Amino acid sequence: FRAVPDDGGLVDADEDKDIKTEASNDSWGNNNANDGRLLSPSPGSSASAGSNKSAAGASEEQQTLLAVLQFLRKNKLTESVEILRREAGLPEDSLEPKGAESSGAGSGGASGGVDLEGGDASSLLTAGEDQPDVNVVLSAYSQQGDPALYEVYYSGLKRFIESVLDCHRAELSQVFYPLFVHMYLELVYNNHESEAKAFFEKFSGDQECYYEDDLRVLSSLTKKEHMRGNETLLDFRTSKFVLRISRDSYQLLKRHLQERQNNQIWNIIQEHLYIDIFDGMPRSKSQIDAMSGSLAGEAKREANKAKVYYGLLKEPEIELPLDDEDEEAENEEGKPKKKKPKKDSLGSKSKKQDPNAPSQNRIPLPELKDSDKLDKIMYMKEATKRIRLGPDNLPSICFYSFLNAYQGLTAVDFTDDSSLIAGGFADSTVRVWSVTPKKLRKVKSAADLNLIDKESDDVLERIMDEKTASESKILCGHSGPVYGISFSPDRNYLLSSSEDGTVRLWSLQTFTCLVGYKGHNYPVWDTQFSPHGYYFVSGGHDRVARLWATDHYQPLRMFSGHLADVTCTRFHPNSNYVATGSSDRTIRLWDVLNGNCVRIFTGHKGPIHALAFSPNGKFLASGATDGRVLLWDIGHGLMVGELKGHTDTIYSLRFSRDGEILASGSMDNTVRLWDATKAFDDLETDDFTAATGHIHLQDNSQELLLGTYMTKSTPVIHLHFTRRNLLLAAGAYNP
Amino acid sequence: MSAPKTIPKDAQVMIQILKDMGITEYEPRVINQMLEFTYRYVTTIIEDAKIYATHAKKSNVDADDIKLAIQCRMDQSFTSPPPRDFLLEVARQKNQTPLPLIKPYTGPRLPPDRYCLTAPNYRLKSIQKKVSSSAGRISVPRLSVGAVSSRPSTPTLGTPSVQSVTTKVGTPVSLTGQRFTVQIPPLTINVFTFATPSTPAVSNVLINPSLIGSKNILITTNMVSQNTGGESLKRKHEDDDDYDAL
Repeated sequence: FRAVPDDGGLVDADEDKDIKTEASNDSWGNNNANDGRLLSPSPGSSASAGSNKSAAGASEEQQTLLAVLQFLRKNKLTESVEILRREAGLPEDSLEPKGAESSGAGSGGASGGVDLEGGDASSLLTAGEDQPDVNVVLSAYSQQGDPALYEVYYSGLKRFIESVLDCHRAELSQVFYPLFVHMYLELVYNNHESEAKAFFEKFSGDQECYYEDDLRVLSSLTKKEHMRGNETLLDFRTSKFVLRISRDSYQLLKRHLQERQNNQIWNIIQEHLYIDIFDGMPRSKSQIDAMSGSLAGEAKREANKAKVYYGLLKEPEIELPLDDEDEEAENEEGKPKKKKPKKDSLGSKSKKQDPNAPSQNRIPLPELKDSDKLDKIMYMKEATKRIRLGPDNLPSICFYSFLNAYQGLTAVDFTDDSSLIAGGFADSTVRVWSVTPKKLRKVKSAADLNLIDKESDDVLERIMDEKTASESKILCGHSGPVYGISFSPDRNYLLSSSEDGTVRLWSLQTFTCLVGYKGHNYPVWDTQFSPHGYYFVSGGHDRVARLWATDHYQPLRMFSGHLADVTCTRFHPNSNYVATGSSDRTIRLWDVLNGNCVRIFTGHKGPIHALAFSPNGKFLASGATDGRVLLWDIGHGLMVGELKGHTDTIYSLRFSRDGEILASGSMDNTVRLWDATKAFDDLETDDFTAATGHIHLQDNSQELLLGTYMTKSTPVIHLHFTRRNLLLAAGAYNP
Repeated sequence: MSAPKTIPKDAQVMIQILKDMGITEYEPRVINQMLEFTYRYVTTIIEDAKIYATHAKKSNVDADDIKLAIQCRMDQSFTSPPPRDFLLEVARQKNQTPLPLIKPYTGPRLPPDRYCLTAPNYRLKSIQKKVSSSAGRISVPRLSVGAVSSRPSTPTLGTPSVQSVTTKVGTPVSLTGQRFTVQIPPLTINVFTFATPSTPAVSNVLINPSLIGSKNILITTNMVSQNTGGESLKRKHEDDDDYDAL
């Protein structure tokens, strides 16, 4: 009968004293047992009440029994009533420690607590009745403390935390925000509107500044009905907010909450918070600030422990035909003229497997067709002509401005060889332009195809229709703004994702729509092809990211776990992992093989809109609405760098081809270049850091910033390094 | 913001709401849009509530009716994504199946045809007609200009109406005044449908819209062909039956 509080929660009519509830909440130690969270059952030992404790205890349990009796009688369980009455007629010591179980028993202590003139307290007084009303007892189950006392509890906790030692204060202050939100939501959920409002007004100003947006949303939520449609809040209520606190600080907190009448807070903490304890020094405020900000607190240690194969797949061996580098023969067949050792500038020179790389067949990947092999040869040729970038050798930037877009440009993508640009627009069209002088041609219609000579050498050009060649093509089909665009690596397909909930696959040979993938029923914010083609990932408003293959009409994997919309999805260079950034301010790394979440990165203070993997696969860069770029070490699961400088949302991030420079483009109309090699040098990542979250971020944003380039009131939506390390940027002119 | 005293009170309230929600930059027409939405939403709710109140035989609309109306509308128009535990469960099931192996050398990797958008989205009806009378003159009685057609069942594209086929033949000219025949130079015979590549014989007549000079041309059941023998027409008729059976 867990609903029954052990102190009855009912003030006996003749006793007018404070019956404090103790930390008899050992039954709650069952959720997420952490070391030391389990309290020793001490119903009476740590009581602060005086001598009549035992008497009070007895009468409380008596009350409980009477309540049970009344309940049974009400439900006409007469035999049980008899048995219970018979047994309960016995003296107290034969009573089962039913009373020792408490539920949100704070209500009892609450009403019997400090203010006896609290409105609800009086309703719980059983003046004149010797049998308690069972409803009152059962209402304690709804976790309801006396609403008028929430403020008292919170202030009490605030005073306590302000009085502790400096080194612990920062850590314990982490408790404020989740506690505040949960208490507020509890008040709203139980229909105590005015108390909720007062509570909010009094304490919302104390919270950290980076929670401001959440608080604003909360302030508009005053009734229980408002909570119904808000999935994010419901998830917040049911999921556990994770805090990482050192053992010493935790002991302090626990001791405080157990000895005073702070049961309500203790209950909330145990129910809604997950406290991940680590042994070590308490963290400083700046360290905590760097990692917090997400909707669900930080990440548990176990969440970041799985092994991630972040290495790159071995490049297939292709013989590089050694024609003269200047004349690039447009040889369609690409037969190697001479057998020479291949130029292996990309692949690993050693034959043995990189221990951090996944095996070649960990996930099935499409085999290379002849055209793919030709592409790779072109790639290697271009790679030899690539400019080496560095702090003293910055890339040139070529900016493609979309004119007359009237703020309707919502997505841009370049092909890998930078020959085509695609733009997704708010009027639901997708437009493809050719960057090179070569025009866009589509395949001839079936009738015309009949007429051509199929045996001729240039059949691949003859099938193209010259009459309709144009610089740009428009693809119509979506019924809502197009938010995500991605070219396939072999330049045959284009993907677009839209607010109408579908992802469409377009053919770039015929410029028609081939497939519409339905699955998300809500706006799809981003989509991307895998670097090897065939797979693509999409993420949307329904808080999941889906992995598809072009030849399956249903998704292959669903990556579910975010608390709010998935706003950005990116593949790892080895196609085995997908990174998703979300409005809940976390980034998760998912394993394609089994759909598990292998990493959770917290630290951003706003929804994440840009993600970029470094070319060597080891690091991830992320940009959000808070204007910061954060750098993460995937192997260890830690934040390794923070680049401050932008003043507005960062919408695009890209590493240069060899990973030396990181370019970021933002709504503040600038492109900034950062020194990536220096940022990833000398990293202190060891097990201690991973275990405790003691990250040491150097404040070297200024040194790492290599250049800031302003545009003429054009937010930068997309960045792309060509194969020779020229930086291309795209945005819509917004006067 | 223009002078506050000229803005109606509702708009002022809306401006305040936007300010409270932290939205500081917006185009001025957003206020109008929001007001329209609010007005429509509130009207819908109140109307619904009235219906519920009369259903419950109450004389006045009270708060319960409004609450019920709001609930029902929320489930209808403002659906929210599925709850997290449901998603986790579905994801767990879906992620258990191993990734399918990729068959090599299969050309473009697309789902089965019925899930693609590559099928033709129009259909041309065939007629059982032989162009006998008009030598050198192709009458296209199926040209209905716009929607004007004396036939009750306008055989527009895609409608599975079969009956119009046989009777239309042969009286191209003598139909009502709205119909007209068009002189079409005897050429431009294209195969429209990719789905039947096996009938290279002429099946349709391509009408170049510029010849006709009218905007709404419905290419209805123009199966007039110049040099088809009976069997190709019959063949087409069979195909047409197939289409109709869809």
